[in-house]
Amino acid sequence: MARKKIKSKDKHILALSTLVNHPSAILYEKEDLIAYDCDGFTIHKATPKAVVFPENTEQVAKIVKYCHDHSLPFLARGAGTGLSGGAIPLNGEVIISMVKMKKLLSVDLENRRAVVEPGFVNLKLTNTISDKGYYYAPDPSSQYCCTIGGNVAENAGGAHCLKYGVTTNHILGLEVVLPNGDVIEIGKNGIADEPGYDLLGLITGSEGTLGIVTKITVRILKNPESKQTVLAYFDKVEDGSQAVSDIISAGIVPAALEMMDKTAIEGVEAAAFPVGHPKDIEALLLIEVDGIEAGIGEQIEQILQVCRNQNVREVRAAKDEQERAAWWANRKTGFGAMGAISPDYLVQDGVIPRSKLPEVLSKINKISEESGLRIANIFHAGDGNLHPLVLFDARIPGETEKAMEAGSACLKVCADVGGTITGEHGVGIEKREEMRFVFKDEEIQAQTDIRDVFNPDNLLNAGKLFPTPGRCAEVKKEMKAAAIS
Amino acid sequence: MAVTEERLKQSPPCTNNSLSNYLWKDAPDENKWADCVHCGMCLESCPTYEQTGQEQHSPRGRVYLIKSVAEGKLTVNEQFMDPVFACLDCRACTTACPADVDVGGLIEEARGQIRQAMPLTGWQGAVSKLFLHGIFPHDKRLQSLGGLLKFYQKSGMQTLVRKTKLINVMPKHLVEMEAIMPEINQPIKKKYKNNNIIKAKGETKREVAMLTGCVMDVMFSDINESTINVLTRNGNDVVIPKNQTCCGALHVHAGDRDMGRKLAKQNIEAFEGTEKIIVNAAGCGCMMKEYEELFREEPEWKERAEKFSEKVEDISKFLHDTGYEKPKAELNTRITYHDACHLAHGQGVRQEPRDILLDIPGVDMVHMPNADRCCGSAGIYNITNPDMAGAVLESKMENVPDDVEMISMGNPGCMLQMAMGVEKYGRNHKIVHTVQLLDWAYQKEAEK
Repeated sequence: MARKKIKSKDKHILALSTLVNHPSAILYEKEDLIAYDCDGFTIHKATPKAVVFPENTEQVAKIVKYCHDHSLPFLARGAGTGLSGGAIPLNGEVIISMVKMKKLLSVDLENRRAVVEPGFVNLKLTNTISDKGYYYAPDPSSQYCCTIGGNVAENAGGAHCLKYGVTTNHILGLEVVLPNGDVIEIGKNGIADEPGYDLLGLITGSEGTLGIVTKITVRILKNPESKQTVLAYFDKVEDGSQAVSDIISAGIVPAALEMMDKTAIEGVEAAAFPVGHPKDIEALLLIEVDGIEAGIGEQIEQILQVCRNQNVREVRAAKDEQERAAWWANRKTGFGAMGAISPDYLVQDGVIPRSKLPEVLSKINKISEESGLRIANIFHAGDGNLHPLVLFDARIPGETEKAMEAGSACLKVCADVGGTITGEHGVGIEKREEMRFVFKDEEIQAQTDIRDVFNPDNLLNAGKLFPTPGRCAEVKKEMKAAAIS
Repeated sequence: MAVTEERLKQSPPCTNNSLSNYLWKDAPDENKWADCVHCGMCLESCPTYEQTGQEQHSPRGRVYLIKSVAEGKLTVNEQFMDPVFACLDCRACTTACPADVDVGGLIEEARGQIRQAMPLTGWQGAVSKLFLHGIFPHDKRLQSLGGLLKFYQKSGMQTLVRKTKLINVMPKHLVEMEAIMPEINQPIKKKYKNNNIIKAKGETKREVAMLTGCVMDVMFSDINESTINVLTRNGNDVVIPKNQTCCGALHVHAGDRDMGRKLAKQNIEAFEGTEKIIVNAAGCGCMMKEYEELFREEPEWKERAEKFSEKVEDISKFLHDTGYEKPKAELNTRITYHDACHLAHGQGVRQEPRDILLDIPGVDMVHMPNADRCCGSAGIYNITNPDMAGAVLESKMENVPDDVEMISMGNPGCMLQMAMGVEKYGRNHKIVHTVQLLDWAYQKEAEK
């Protein structure tokens, strides 16, 4: 297991090893580092210089200061489940792993807030407070293992963000180690709306480029009195899409409104949590409503009726909690389930106006046909947050490039209908160039100017979030090719 | 440490021109890692990741390392061996994985490569050879070892060793093990060697064969006895095939796949002609259901192994599925249930043993949080990796409810490890096998 003595002669490794608790809290050998050469986005890979495991803010600050003073690139990593490559050490960074900082520091039910360390796992918060009748709302599908620190960096969303909002709506305060090692506190005493600039909003979703979060105050919510889930099977995508629009138009605000298409259904049914969805339907909807007991039955009736009006093949409410849980497990493990039908996948994260759903899905279908790659769709239909999953096999020469092109084309479609390129997964490495689909040079400049205030030497997580300067399409193409190889 | 030059010269000739650094036959199977998309859903399920927080000690990290050796990015060396052998092989990741990646299979195949590339030397090699080759596969020697242990306990030597502090010269984890050694009785296989069919009490409904196991029969022959009682009580003739041997799980976990294959073949032959093979040790049951994995390069045996595996069933699932008489006597006890990894994650048997326990009148079942989390026993892991096994055990014990009289489970390895936990943390729960409780309830009923 843990090797006792530091064998490296590298002066930085030796120095960093004195800043953590134990010699086993730093990794520097090739075999150990290789597990860190990518996160949930596996197309780019790069090996870090070292991985360090601090256990408190002070250690993080010291490590950051050391890197800053010695011009070593560095970045923070949580569980490494990100889907846009935000934790990949493109520049041979020192990775500061936050997973040892995994304590739940306090729970304040009266004021409905909790303070956690960044390595605390999302679902653990809900599991810890659920018996008292509370929960933490943002629920990315990776919530079984992703960390709240990572959620803050990516401003993570989830199935239930349709009604409750994404991570940024649930963050009340942060302790942040700035890229020079200084420590600041934002949202003091858990009061989010402080005078001055909205730094909480700025840091949340900054993809680890402005600072490293070491303490997080989150909002917790009272469990809804009641919830109910409906499952609907459609023979035509258009009918399913129309049902989505009609549910919202009817004035219902579902807690979640999810869609899966045929290829996605094939994947989840071939994987570990099948529930027996028919394989010949074009789309399924998973619709959840929650709130006070009194209105739920009526809303469910309305939803059933809307679906029937749209030629639904079969629609029904979950008969018990067990069935409801099985439907959700099937949905929430959907991305990983693609492994059962494809060796690799690339997930995109476009956002579109709901009304454009049928049009966009048919365009994505066309991209699939043209590229010869299958594309599965599992997504948050209610807020128009699409997740086209491009299925490919990296072992076949040229397929990775084709998949990236297809993914990019999907985002172009989203941007062209008035949407945008990411809803919740972040830009990372993956969508840097696609930022140009939605921002002009001046708009990107305004953002990099802000980054330069916090992170002037660009040592912290460099090369993420923004496109590289230069407008020539040829340059872009070359860079992409270089990055892939 | 890496593969020695001398050992490299002994590697088989190249049969293809891949970059793979797995040089011996029976290499990790590419199709197994092709299922992994690196999503990370396995992380929190993994006890060694929980302890270390390090990705090379997580399921997806290990899969990635195993794949990297095949791609020629890493070689088989000590740094690679470390995470591969630190895996508990508990299979919790298999339950968590959305794509059903067979991490356990990959780990075992990788261990096979490591052991061929870097054979154990020195005292480790000698000890491992003594037990894995010299004792477990041989009935007589195993029984003699049992006899020695029994002599140790009964002759007063145990008391002497403990009182004279002679025990202090042993490593700490072995002392802890010595303290919980169960009382040794006569092995079942020896007891029934001249009469290997035990008739059902009352009308015979069917005939089943039973695996007596190696450790099980020496250390826990009373559980084997209970298994026979419960089976015969419910209309089963029990056959104990003479030529059966150790299932080979310990060998396969240790990377000794050749010995694993040898034992598997012996068992496949020994149980030929039987319809059902009842196993009361989760680790053995899981191994025997996976025998085909060992024969990827021997199609004829693979087919026989598949047929064999279909017949293998855990005692609790068998009773649950074929029906059993509910005991009428009350046991009046508070218990909790621990899921053995190779029962819950390995064989998907979770509810059946709980149902059996709930059917015993007077049994008050208390829920154990994270009941399907590994206890750290993991075959002989607690001997080879005592630090990690100790840390995993500590987390396990934190979840055991204070106020229960007994902890029930379905695997001898877990029983020894949990007994150690009880001893180490000053608890006073009794460690029992699920069938024992059922057997006791039947016995109590008969006494009335």
